[in-house]
Amino acid sequence: MTGQTSREATIFFVETNFQKLARRPGGTPREQAISSAQANIDILKKTDFPHWLETTLNELLSTIRLLDTNPQDQRLIQQAYTRCLHLQDVGATMGYELVTFTARNMSEYFEALIAGAPYSSDTVNLHVDAITLASKPPYCHLRPDQLPEMSDGLRRVVERVKFSAQEHK
Amino acid sequence: MDSSINLRDLVILIADGNAYQRRIIQGMLRGFGANKLLEVDQSVEVLHALSEQKVDILLCDEKLAPHGALALTRAIRRKKDSQNRTMPILIMTSDARESKVKLARDAGANMVIAKPMSPKHLYDRLAWIAFTPRKFIDTETYFGPDRRFKIEGYPNGVGRRKSDKPIEIAAEVGPALPQDDIDKLFNAARTGDT
Repeated sequence: MTGQTSREATIFFVETNFQKLARRPGGTPREQAISSAQANIDILKKTDFPHWLETTLNELLSTIRLLDTNPQDQRLIQQAYTRCLHLQDVGATMGYELVTFTARNMSEYFEALIAGAPYSSDTVNLHVDAITLASKPPYCHLRPDQLPEMSDGLRRVVERVKFSAQEHK
Repeated sequence: MDSSINLRDLVILIADGNAYQRRIIQGMLRGFGANKLLEVDQSVEVLHALSEQKVDILLCDEKLAPHGALALTRAIRRKKDSQNRTMPILIMTSDARESKVKLARDAGANMVIAKPMSPKHLYDRLAWIAFTPRKFIDTETYFGPDRRFKIEGYPNGVGRRKSDKPIEIAAEVGPALPQDDIDKLFNAARTGDT
């Protein structure tokens, strides 16, 4: 490391071990590395992804059933929010773009709840129906833009809830 | 330019509360040739792992419980006697709003990647970190990679050509930024845009 001091900041150059070693020759060529990584994802998709998706959806639905009777329970809201984030984060990587879209929309709804929006069982049930549909063939292979009416409708519902949350502040 | 990366024998720490997401990332990294992968599901475990050994890069979920990746990044960068203080940190986020991406950069992250991730996007961000030398800045209020740097071009030309396809996984809707815009935020103050 070489140092250079200015009035406000010390600026120095670091070559990290990651940089040194990652630049070594002998790495897998990019296209081959990406293809090999995708092959690993495809194996997961064929083997345990359906089970993970079903389990995570069931956990989300159980949490929502509890939430319906305890809509103020912040722990349950947080749990449902976390499940939605998991579905959102994994869905499109496995090719389930509609799951990601619906889960993202639902996450935004739970963020609005956390921010103070009133609980709406209709909104939650609408999303539950949508994400259940999105997780099954043929819908799981579709993109949000291929179902514009559903996608736009879900967006409008959440935008309304977010607006309502702002009004409650 | 051939910008293949060699991840063999690099210690990579994956920190994400979602066990299935960790499996996916492991699958991607193994496909890239990585063979020394560690994983944790809590920020306190990250700190524990870093106190025990040298880690070459950290991939951390932005919402990692209980502290979150931003507080964790600041804690790592502040720890003066740590051998991992300057280690590259790649923050993975489901919330790619511009304000969040800037917060990650200002906490001392080397790069932000939007979830859901594809192998291509993860590979190119790792290659970018490997091939883009960054100075470090140490001030009273910030320790981390220089936030004022210029991207002369991504390895393999990623993100620089008009003909490049936009992110093909989960194009962001609403206020979230697509990956290319996240990258641009890291291409910062030299042009005075931040």
